Amino acid sequence: MEQKLMFDKILVANRSEIAVRIMRSARELGIKTVAIYEETDKDSYHITQGDEAICVGPGPRKDYLNIDSIIKVAKKAGAEAIHPGYGFLAENPDFSKACTDADLVFIGPPPDVIRNLGSKVIARRIAKESDIPVIPATETLLQGAEGDEEALAFAAEHDYPIMIKAVAGGGGRGIRQVDDEKALLAGIKQSRSEAQMSFGNDEVYLEKCVQRPQHVEVQIVADKYGNVVHLGTRNCSIQRRHQKLIEIAPAFLKKSLAAEICAAAVRAAKAAEYLSAGTVEFLVEPDGTFYFLEVNTRIQVEHTVSEMVTGIDLVREQLLIALGEPVGFSQDQVVERGCAIELRINAEDPKNEFFASPGVVKVYQAPGGHGVRLDGSIYQGYEIPRYYDSMLVKLTVYGFTWQEAVDRLARALDGFVIIGVKTTIPYFQQILQEPDFIQMKFDTSYIDTHPHLVDYLEEEREMEKIARLIAEINAHGYNPHVE
Amino acid sequence: MEGRITTEMSAEEILGRLRNADGYYLCNNERDVSQSDFKNRLMPVTTLRVAPHREATGFFSVEVSGGASPHVDLMRKQVNPFERLRIARKAMPNTLLQAVCRGASMFGYRHYPENVIRFTVKEFAKYIDVWRVYDFLNHVPNMIPVFEEVQQAGRILMPSICFSTGKEHTDEYYVEKVKEILNVTGPDVIISIKNHSGLGTPKRLGQLVKAIRSSCPDVVLHYHGCNTDGNDIGRMIASVVAGVKICDVADHGLGAVYGQAPALTLIHNLEDYGKKAIGVDVKALIQASDVLRVERRIYEPFENLFRGHDPTVASYKLTGGAAGSTFEQADKGGFLDRMPEILEEMGKVQIELGNWWSVTPGSQILWTTAVNNVLYGRYERPSLDLRNLIMGRYGPLPFYDPQEWICQRVLEYQRSDGKKWHQVIAEEGGVVRPRDADLERERENLENEIGRPASDEDLALYLLYSFDTVSFLKFEARYGKTWLLPPEVWFRRGGFKVGERITFEDENGKPHYIEITSTRQEGPTVITSLLVDHAFHTLTVTLEGADACPPPA
Repeated sequence: MEQKLMFDKILVANRSEIAVRIMRSARELGIKTVAIYEETDKDSYHITQGDEAICVGPGPRKDYLNIDSIIKVAKKAGAEAIHPGYGFLAENPDFSKACTDADLVFIGPPPDVIRNLGSKVIARRIAKESDIPVIPATETLLQGAEGDEEALAFAAEHDYPIMIKAVAGGGGRGIRQVDDEKALLAGIKQSRSEAQMSFGNDEVYLEKCVQRPQHVEVQIVADKYGNVVHLGTRNCSIQRRHQKLIEIAPAFLKKSLAAEICAAAVRAAKAAEYLSAGTVEFLVEPDGTFYFLEVNTRIQVEHTVSEMVTGIDLVREQLLIALGEPVGFSQDQVVERGCAIELRINAEDPKNEFFASPGVVKVYQAPGGHGVRLDGSIYQGYEIPRYYDSMLVKLTVYGFTWQEAVDRLARALDGFVIIGVKTTIPYFQQILQEPDFIQMKFDTSYIDTHPHLVDYLEEEREMEKIARLIAEINAHGYNPHVE
Repeated sequence: MEGRITTEMSAEEILGRLRNADGYYLCNNERDVSQSDFKNRLMPVTTLRVAPHREATGFFSVEVSGGASPHVDLMRKQVNPFERLRIARKAMPNTLLQAVCRGASMFGYRHYPENVIRFTVKEFAKYIDVWRVYDFLNHVPNMIPVFEEVQQAGRILMPSICFSTGKEHTDEYYVEKVKEILNVTGPDVIISIKNHSGLGTPKRLGQLVKAIRSSCPDVVLHYHGCNTDGNDIGRMIASVVAGVKICDVADHGLGAVYGQAPALTLIHNLEDYGKKAIGVDVKALIQASDVLRVERRIYEPFENLFRGHDPTVASYKLTGGAAGSTFEQADKGGFLDRMPEILEEMGKVQIELGNWWSVTPGSQILWTTAVNNVLYGRYERPSLDLRNLIMGRYGPLPFYDPQEWICQRVLEYQRSDGKKWHQVIAEEGGVVRPRDADLERERENLENEIGRPASDEDLALYLLYSFDTVSFLKFEARYGKTWLLPPEVWFRRGGFKVGERITFEDENGKPHYIEITSTRQEGPTVITSLLVDHAFHTLTVTLEGADACPPPA
């Protein structure tokens, strides 16, 4: 079959900022886009940015996850390909397969790649086979005294602390950290009991506890010709309950370590026969020891920092690779320059356990200027629906140095005016003044070890306060605070 | 201008220049004019609008704080008294800022604990260059903590002798009082003659000044008078001719009645005596009044209802600030028709209670006593403050004690233990200094109230006026620095028209605007849409009580 030169139309199977992001690159390539939306999301900004928009159902959420419905809509609209964005169906191998079966190009990896890398067992095996260190772990522990003996032997080899994990685990259940032999033996019993109650399966295994590691990931791009190119590292250590809050490119590792990790990522991608853009994640200990964690088979939220330091448009690359093009650059042509930092400005209340703060964005003013990039989907008057994630806008800044990027980030945050909902902006402003952050002394425990960051005063802008008085004078016909 | 005194000079340099001055200096007493004639409502923006001209005029000082003004700032103007001082300092960087302080009563109405006095003076002394300090009984010990803190802060101390008339008010008394003060403070102070009610003739004031200068030739004298009787120009002329070096004056553009007399009139008159207003640029002085004439219209609702000079003040002796407001209190209280009797009673009460000085807090005691005497019978309903006064709580009465029958009625009033008045005085009389406050506990209390750390300035205000400070700080947290609004907006009556644009600058000179884009009412709720610095806002206010009823068609 003759290779198509360019798509005429694609469907973006996502919403909000990532949908807008994809539409922008598509438009630059002259590709028309179809936006989809649920009835409960009908005010979303991405709808206005597509060339066409189709309601896929009443929602909430279920219609963005309805593979059949989305495939039908894509076919009806005459789309030739589907970009899944991140979240929703992005890492669902059935969706990738359904696209292929419907003669639609899935802009991402093939279903088998998604399936294999989605399995911890297979992904660890691929990594091991590629000579990439994985976190030392036991097989499933035997029952009774034999299992205890296995556990004690593992502890003797790898030392404490150790993680006890349920084989069928998830959501943190059946997982515990133990620091000595007594706790290990007691913990195995407790974890088995919890796992049995939660999952109907009492099997557990042990894993070496990697303490206060850096979360480092490598952006890769792969084509169908076996070319895999990395775009350098990112540091995503600042997380809250496994949700990344701040992402930085590069990861500021020693040059030799960064090269080693990037090479490992490329090996893993090649071994997995990867296609499109993806991310290989690692944990890095203070001494530079690193372990494979997982592969994300999608474009990620934080892809913007890699774009900023390399100048490469990752979504454009995804589109071209999906058309059958080779990766548009060689490894030698990838040059990382300066530093980029990305923040997720969410409608959340950091003072209240980061609970979502839905409401109407009464006022929205955004910063700009040199080195400031915004990927957002809010506008003045937008009522944030409570059914979806709370991200309002992604702020990415570029600086020639770390300090310049930090200064620019602070300036850009100051430039936001978002009234009507609580946001994470004041929390980030705290972080930007925090000495450990400024000195790049952070790991995955940063948020937990800096609880005082939520101790900020929520300050309204002076003019907003004064406007409140004007409204009162107007309502009363006099100033009620004079007498 | 030659001879001008500026903030760049040390207190020592300033006193040296005053001692050697061949002429006199002027203090613009905006604070007293505002308090006496405009219910203390002059807003900071008015001060800012006139500030460039006042700065150019070359006053010795501008009195911008003290008296009741910090309290009214919090209660009625919703401005932080410290912020008002910062604003004034920024707008008039070369001009000394002055305040009047009621001794142990500071800027309030009762004696404060000594550690509170010292703490608050320290805070205010960061901004106030000249401290005019008095005690309504001329009881020097009541002023000593303030004296000490002001001098320690390196500021100019201006101890006052309160002046009045009558047979006890002799030159000898006042000369001795000046000496008593100088013994405490040392010679490097300015002694102020505080003629708060505008009493005495020019001849009497000239004689007093001569007497003081003859006994204390190096002392620098300041004259503060009120123009209630319309004759303060005459008194100032006589005082300057006799050796006073600084006079408190007003801008003629404010046309004050009970406050100070106009500066320009004094300058014109004293020229004939060969006395020059040192450092003063008359053109700038006139320009200031050109601004204030227009500005004054905003404050018209706060001017006294009963206007015009009142020469009968010589008998009732109310201080300038109280003269107008008493008529309004009588009007509101429904006894306006009895004012002639009350004022006559004021004169009697003055004499009966000791012929001391009718100035805060003594003026309030005299007024309340006179009103109660007329309305309920003589000394039949004595106030707690009157009882405290007779018991000597504020300090010893300077000349004589009230007659026994008065002491009996006052001190035995509602007394359940059967004690006789002389027993009460013997057992409970005398000065009782309030116990020192636990400042850290007070700070904790304040922080609990406002939900944030309290600065030392916040604490100083809280120690003076706890309830009103908390109310103000909560207001400020909710409404911001509303003093930035033009006063014509702050005092607006009748709401705003759609399309009306309110423009103003912030402290850094940045322009801002708020434009009313629509107003509508749904039941008791008024919905106002505004453009605030280009951003669209819609705010709702729910009216309660009478305000909730729509006006009749």
